[in-house]
Parts: sequence; C-alpha cells; structure tokens
Amino acid sequence: MDSLLDVKHIDVGYGFLQVLWEVSFTIETGEYVCLIGPNGAGKSTTLKSIMGLLSPQKGDILFKGEPIAGLSGNKVCRKGISYISEGGNLFTGMTVRENLLMGAFTVGDKKQLKETLDFVFHLFPRLKEREKQLAGTMSGGERKMLTIGRGIMATPSLLLVDEPSLGLAPLITNDVFAALDVLNKRGITLLLVEQNAVKALKVTGRGYVLEKGKIVLHEKSQDLAKNDYVKKVFLGV
Amino acid sequence: MGLIHRFKSMLYSTFANIRSAAGITITLTIIIAILGAVDKGSYIIVNTIVTGGMWALMAMGLALLFGVMNVANFAHGEFFMVGALAAYFIMTFSGQYVAAHPGTWVAGAAPFLGIFGATIAGSLFGAVCEVLVFRQLRKRSREQWVMNVFILTLGISVILANGHQLLFGTGYKGIVKYLDLPSISIFQTLISSDRIFVFLLGMVAIIVFWLFMKFSKTGRAIRAVSQDETGALMVGIDLNRIQILTLAISSALAAFSGASLLFMFPAYPTMGMAPLYNSWFVVIVVGMGNVGAAVIGGFIVALFQILTTVYFGEGWGFVVPSALIILILVVKPSGIFGSSVRGVLEQ
Repeated sequence: MDSLLDVKHIDVGYGFLQVLWEVSFTIETGEYVCLIGPNGAGKSTTLKSIMGLLSPQKGDILFKGEPIAGLSGNKVCRKGISYISEGGNLFTGMTVRENLLMGAFTVGDKKQLKETLDFVFHLFPRLKEREKQLAGTMSGGERKMLTIGRGIMATPSLLLVDEPSLGLAPLITNDVFAALDVLNKRGITLLLVEQNAVKALKVTGRGYVLEKGKIVLHEKSQDLAKNDYVKKVFLGV
Repeated sequence: MGLIHRFKSMLYSTFANIRSAAGITITLTIIIAILGAVDKGSYIIVNTIVTGGMWALMAMGLALLFGVMNVANFAHGEFFMVGALAAYFIMTFSGQYVAAHPGTWVAGAAPFLGIFGATIAGSLFGAVCEVLVFRQLRKRSREQWVMNVFILTLGISVILANGHQLLFGTGYKGIVKYLDLPSISIFQTLISSDRIFVFLLGMVAIIVFWLFMKFSKTGRAIRAVSQDETGALMVGIDLNRIQILTLAISSALAAFSGASLLFMFPAYPTMGMAPLYNSWFVVIVVGMGNVGAAVIGGFIVALFQILTTVYFGEGWGFVVPSALIILILVVKPSGIFGSSVRGVLEQ
C-alpha cells in the first residue's frame, strides 16, 4: 500500500540559492501532520514544491503512488492537492462567492459543487454573510477563512496549509484551527506548516522539524513537544 | 420597501461615483459633447458614438492583454491590419463569386462573412503569435518581461507592416461599402447605413465580450489569472490555455475593428499607426489593464479628436489628445479610472 504522499530526497532552490537539502517525509491517508521550523528553514518552499509552484532539482514526490514532481500547479491541483498559501493568493477583485466558485474550477459535477459550497458556508458562517463582498475588502481573518474555503472547494484529498495563524488575532486563530480539525475528521489529510510550534504540536498527530533546509527530527507530536531540543529552540522553555 | 431601499443605495452610489475622478470625467465629457452639439450640430455626438465604439473595441483588446499577460502590445495596429486585409480578400472573392453566380445567398451574407471571417483570422493569428513568440520568451526568462515584450511587439509590428508591403504591395486595398442601403437621417445628420451597421455590430461585440468575461467559467478564469496568477494555478487553471485564449480574443477584437472600418480606412502597409495610437490614448487615459473603463475611454478620446478636428482643423487631431495624455501622466499617472484596478473587469 502506497503512502498518500511520499517526498523522496528532494533538493529545491531558487536560482543559485539552494533551500532544501535531501528532504524526505511521508504522509498516510487521514493523517494530520505538521512541519515546524524557524523562519527561513524552507517550510513554505517544501509546500510550494509539492504543489508544483517550484520544481525540485533532484528527488521525487509521489502522490498516491504517482510521481508529481515537476508537474505544473494546475495539474497537481487536478490530482487532488490543495494549497492554502500564506498570503492567500485570493482573487481580490472577485466576490467571496466567485472566489469559492473559482476554487471548484476543476469540479464538473454541479451537485457536488453545491454540496461543497454549503459545507464551506456551514464551516465558516461568516463567509455566507459576506457572500457578495469583494475578497480584497475583507479583514485578515475573513480572508484566511476564504482561502481555506476556496482550497476545499476542489474537494482535495490532501490539504497543504501554510501558516494559518500568521497575523491573526488569537480568537480567530482558534476558529481557524477548529475548522482544520473538522476537515481532518471528515477524512481530508492535512499537512500543516507553522511557526507557532506550541499550537501546531497540540493539534497534530505527527511532526517533522525542518531546520536550514534539512529534516532534523521526526516524532509523534506529543513526544516532540517534550523533546528537549524542540523545547529549547521553538518553545522557549 | 426593499425596492425603495435599493433605489436609495443606488442613488447614493451614483453620487459617490460622480465625486470620483472617473465620475467627474464622464460628467464633463457628456456636458462637453452636448455643448459641442448645440454649437456645431448633432453630428458631433453621432460621429463620437460611431468612431468611439471602434476605439473602445481596440482599447478593450489592448487592456485585456495588459491586464492578463502584462503585454504592452505595440503590434495592436497590425492586428487591426490583419483584420482589414482578411475582410478585403473575403469581400473581393465573394464579390467575384456573386458576379459569376448571380442571385446566390452569398450576396446578402458577404458583409457578415467578411467581418466574421476576419475576426476568426485575427484570433488564429493572435494564437499563433502567443505560441511562436510570447511563449518562447516566457520559457527563456521572465526578467524584465514588460520591456522585452514591448520590444518583441514592436518587432512583430515591423515584420507585419513590411510583410504586407512585400506580399500585397503598397496600394490601397479597400471596399466602397458593406451594405447597399440608403443613408439614414438621425437628428438631421445623414449617416451612411454602413456606419450604423458597424456600430451595431460593435455594440453586440462589446456586450458579448462583457457577458463572456463576467459570467462564463472561462471568462472568470481569465479574470482570475489577471488578479493572481499563482492563485489561478493553485485552483487548477491551465495558464497556457488562458494565455492563448487571451491573445486570440485581444487580436480578434482588433481584427474585428479593422474589418468593420474597412469601408472608411482601406488596408495599406502602415495603416496600423492611427488605430494603435488611438487605442493607446484610450488605455493611458483610463488606466492600463482595465477593460470596462476602456469602453468609456474609447468614447472620450473619440469626442476629443472630433472636437479638435472641428474647432482647430484636421491637423490637430492627434495633438490635443497627446497633450491631454501628457497632462494625465503628470497629474494622475494611473489614469482616471486607475486608482484601484484589481483586474481586467474590476475597478
């Protein structure tokens, strides 16, 4: 049985600057995995490489047993991966509803689209209230909700979430994490990238620690939270 | 109750719009047009509407290309020429065919065949340009994209103008008229039936294009790419397809205008200059990359050209709009609609 996602020894860089060195990890179906690490460790780069926004110079990425390294983003999306980027990459001149419909660009089935849309509005009632508002005029928290909503409109089997807590008020951060939890319980596999290691280790099952472009630790999240090294470097204890 | 409330908010937003730069300009334009018409006759308004419609079409294509692909196209006039040439050949051949077979259906359909044939030829030509030229550059490097593409389009323009001269010579290739109908009098102004025909076709084209961009899934995808390319990739939009489509549409709009105006401007090698300048006037005045504003801008620029021609003489037709553009670039470089452009269709 193949893993859902199998990242094998990838090297990724921007031009002459290499960011990831031999990064490998696997994710099984239904898991909730986090990737923690300090600023500039290459967490976002890892997600972008999986999504096809960057292509690895070396190594392979298997999704459901199929190689996806080097495919362009739109093809990766069609395979069933959604990426909730840090900045959102929302269509700021479109309404909330139009953004959500764009998220379902690859979905042909009208009935399925309607169901997912209802689910998104159920998950984030705030989006329902703001249905006709332009995405560019919303607050940071609402934008984050819309980004997640747009991401799940494609009914992905793997959701890559990049820094969901960044720049959000604590209360809204909790809402967002609660929504991610609901998604995981509904069977969507999640890969979470966070700087807020305390929070990330609390909600996820397994964690990888990325430092200077290399995976340095891999354990169950609860064990990682007790790990002396992690405590010292990330948790500030 | 709800209706009254909606009417109130509509009224409010209208007044809010009038206070903006765009609102002021539109209001001023309408006032100037009315004053001009009172002073010199209503033909000023009629002419503005007919030529403005075509500049609007040209400028829409230009704005679309800039908004979606960041291409500042200086070969737009040559796309116009491609349309004019295609329409000329279709009209000539169908004329010969009709002469050989009197009474065929081709006689009545020839103008439509000419204009739609030219539009299709234009869209194919645009698609070829994308695949052979822009895509190749995109594969090599995206650094200094705007500058490199600007030079590329200048090159395309030179090649096409000279290619035209090489293949078809420098002579004027035109037709006398599209429709064999008498002129129509509107507000004591005699307008040829061709002008009305072309204006109506142009309006239909603008409306179809607008509906396509606003409501179709593909149109929405084009707008998505113009607003966030990475976001568009992430939701599964095939950028290659959108880029081919955008160039095809943009070039088709230019070719459509070229074909429609063939009875006014016969085809010759450097014919692209005037439409190129005019459409650039429009996009600079309203702000780059905004398709909706380009429609209004088309009429504004047409009005100013017609007024200067009437009041200062034929030779000043380009001078006053150019001065206006310098003024706009100094005072409001983003264009009068350009303060908060978020995409090709949104302001």
